[in-house]
Amino acid sequence: MEGDILKGHLDMIVLAAVSGGPQHGYAIIEEIKRRSGGAFDLPEGTVYPVLHRLEHAGFLASRWVTAESGRRRRVYALTRRGARALASQRATWQQFSDAIGGLFKKRRPSRSPA
Amino acid sequence: MIAAYVEQIGRELAFDPALSQRVRREVEDHLREAVATDPAGGGADAERRAVAAFGDAHVIAMQLARVARTAHARRAGALVILVIGSALVAMKARLAWYAVMQWPAGSAWPATGTMVASVDRWAFWLAVVVGLAAFVSIERREGDLRRFAVLCVMATAALGISVAGDAVLTSLRLMGSPWSLRVLVPIVTMGIEIAGVGVLLASVRRVRARGGGYGPASRAVSTKTV
Repeated sequence: MEGDILKGHLDMIVLAAVSGGPQHGYAIIEEIKRRSGGAFDLPEGTVYPVLHRLEHAGFLASRWVTAESGRRRRVYALTRRGARALASQRATWQQFSDAIGGLFKKRRPSRSPA
Repeated sequence: MIAAYVEQIGRELAFDPALSQRVRREVEDHLREAVATDPAGGGADAERRAVAAFGDAHVIAMQLARVARTAHARRAGALVILVIGSALVAMKARLAWYAVMQWPAGSAWPATGTMVASVDRWAFWLAVVVGLAAFVSIERREGDLRRFAVLCVMATAALGISVAGDAVLTSLRLMGSPWSLRVLVPIVTMGIEIAGVGVLLASVRRVRARGGGYGPASRAVSTKTV
């Protein structure tokens, strides 16, 4: 999918990916790829500015943890505020999706008046 | 290859050492994880693939810098409002104290006192208006950081003039009065005002020092917040 189309929805996509539980950046990207069936295949680094911005906005909280490999990694989790923002975005998106679905639904050709 | 890539991103964020350090660690962890889970196995090729998948280091560093600068500017915007509010409270407290103490205005240089009071008043309200404009401009989505920095400088300058005026007026009043414990309130409230301007100056200097990426290039790669 085109990067420009995704750009306006990156925040929602990232919040949705984190909604399953705390995750580090690489896992979030893998989750996005998996849940989108590979449709959202952005340059991986672009997710980090989004994570940082969402954290500054209070939608995500992060902390350092030590992975099994021994590496220190930053783990992000959804805050209450982030959960509310995601729920609101989900509702808006559902409305939009239903509306577009309605528009794209194939209509039976109407009979022309005799 | 990973080390060089991480070094490049870190270098581009050197204006904020804490951010630079954090990003280095995050990116390195990400790339090492990508290499470790590469289905074709590790090695130089896997590192190359991991770096390519991560994207252009310069573009990502610019996006991260923009996020950090906006966050810093938002804090600075809130600080402008807080300092102006504190200065107003300090001024009002001092005037209330003069009224309670029935402390007359200094009789020395009355014309100077009137002129300084007028400059003080206008400068203060200018600081309020420009400070609010700065706060609103940065709170808006995609706020223009360059304009914010200019507004912050103007608000700080106006508040500085107002506080200098207050200092002159307070000195004129103290000059004609005997020294006692009652002078503590004017001196302490003046201290609060001066300290506030000092804090604001330091914050504005930081905003300006981080201004290198405030141009169109950094705006072009930004995205909106939910």
